[in-house]
Amino acid sequence: MEFDFSFMLEALKAALKFTPTTLLLAIVPLILGVVLGTGIAIIRLFKVKYLSEFFTIYVVIIRGIPLALLLLMTYFAFVQGFDAIKNLFHLKIMSKDISLVYIALFTFTLYSTATISESIRGALASIDKGQYEGAYSIGLTKRQTLKRIILPQIVPITIPMLSNSFIGLVKGSSLAFMISVTDLLNGALITATGNYKFLEAYIAAALVYWVICIIIERIAYFYEGRLGLFNRRELV
Amino acid sequence: MEDYFDIKLVIEYFPQILARIHITLLVVLVAALIGFILGILIAATRLYKIPVLEQLSIVYISFVRGTPIIVQLFIVYYGIPLIVQKIFHINLNRIDAIYFVILTYGLNSGAFLSEVIRSAISSVNAGQTEAAYSVGLTKIQTFLRIIAPQALVTAIPNFGTSMAGLLQDSSLAFSLGIIDVMGKVQAIGSVSYHVLEGYVVAAIIFLVLGILLERAFKNLEKRASFKKGAL
Repeated sequence: MEFDFSFMLEALKAALKFTPTTLLLAIVPLILGVVLGTGIAIIRLFKVKYLSEFFTIYVVIIRGIPLALLLLMTYFAFVQGFDAIKNLFHLKIMSKDISLVYIALFTFTLYSTATISESIRGALASIDKGQYEGAYSIGLTKRQTLKRIILPQIVPITIPMLSNSFIGLVKGSSLAFMISVTDLLNGALITATGNYKFLEAYIAAALVYWVICIIIERIAYFYEGRLGLFNRRELV
Repeated sequence: MEDYFDIKLVIEYFPQILARIHITLLVVLVAALIGFILGILIAATRLYKIPVLEQLSIVYISFVRGTPIIVQLFIVYYGIPLIVQKIFHINLNRIDAIYFVILTYGLNSGAFLSEVIRSAISSVNAGQTEAAYSVGLTKIQTFLRIIAPQALVTAIPNFGTSMAGLLQDSSLAFSLGIIDVMGKVQAIGSVSYHVLEGYVVAAIIFLVLGILLERAFKNLEKRASFKKGAL
């Protein structure tokens, strides 16, 4: 067996063609994760009755289950459950007609919400209690305090964590090939099904993932420096 | 709807799937050990700024962090036999896939642990090294008696996080046909067409293992930090 360099380039092209799917599978869960995760972090910060306990359990369970397992569980729960409900109502649509991308997006969002809520909770905890007291003492409400005082301060702290989450999601999205979503990895692998040159296909996919992750890291590093400016000025 | 999810099957499958837990634990523990040794070596190349090796380490860490573990798993699985064949003319085609799995997870955690080790060692105050030298300790003595014990204590929480990540990543070993916890679920599923129940069992096992791991590291941290306080 020889390493086929020209085939690797072919697989690289296929991988690049499906890169938008991978980015979609990472960006949508990232954005939804930030929004929902912030909500959960705030609920847990203020110890809202019942909801706070519910989300604590949610976070522990989702973070404790490997992403691959979570994806397969939601996939089978959906496919089997959908067909059972379909038979109950005599519907004509099949579970196969629904794009598997949505199942992947749903699972990745479940996962990113749990992990990102933990990062944001950590960032919230790093803000001094005096900040809340100061804000309350000048007559701001809880909502105003969060919106104007606390959240702007945690943005620079969360940037490195969010970049890690984003990289984790890009890498995690490769698992979508398990439920046969055609993403970057699957795109590269499909080209190899004819000639069994899987090594070349995997290396091509690895290169694309690597470049994406380096770009994300660079962007995060750049913004971290810029957003942290107001902090630095205070110190001087 | 009855055959959608059968709780009785969860109970029936539980012992069968739990019986494969030793494979999961074997992969995690051996990989962690390889990763720890490799991590120390990689961290050393960067801390002592050994030319060439340092740059190689940086590229290696970047690659491992920037690519999915599933891709790394298959690159090792297909790539290592090719390289060995080329250089040593040994045919590795018949070797058990579990060795490739352990090797991949070892190489993977080596990169992550090297970062943990490096940051822990550089967190120890430089004054400690100077003080050690001034009382006449050699470089090796200083590292083993002064730096390493303090660095280990600071590294414990991050080790815990890495181990938890390794445990979760090990769920992908089944894609190379390893019959560990996940592999057993697949095996049961292919015979009985009841996969969901098996996945629930696997999820419970991973949850419990993860919580136990977290507890163990919390305990370790508590015990070790007592020492730190005495300093």
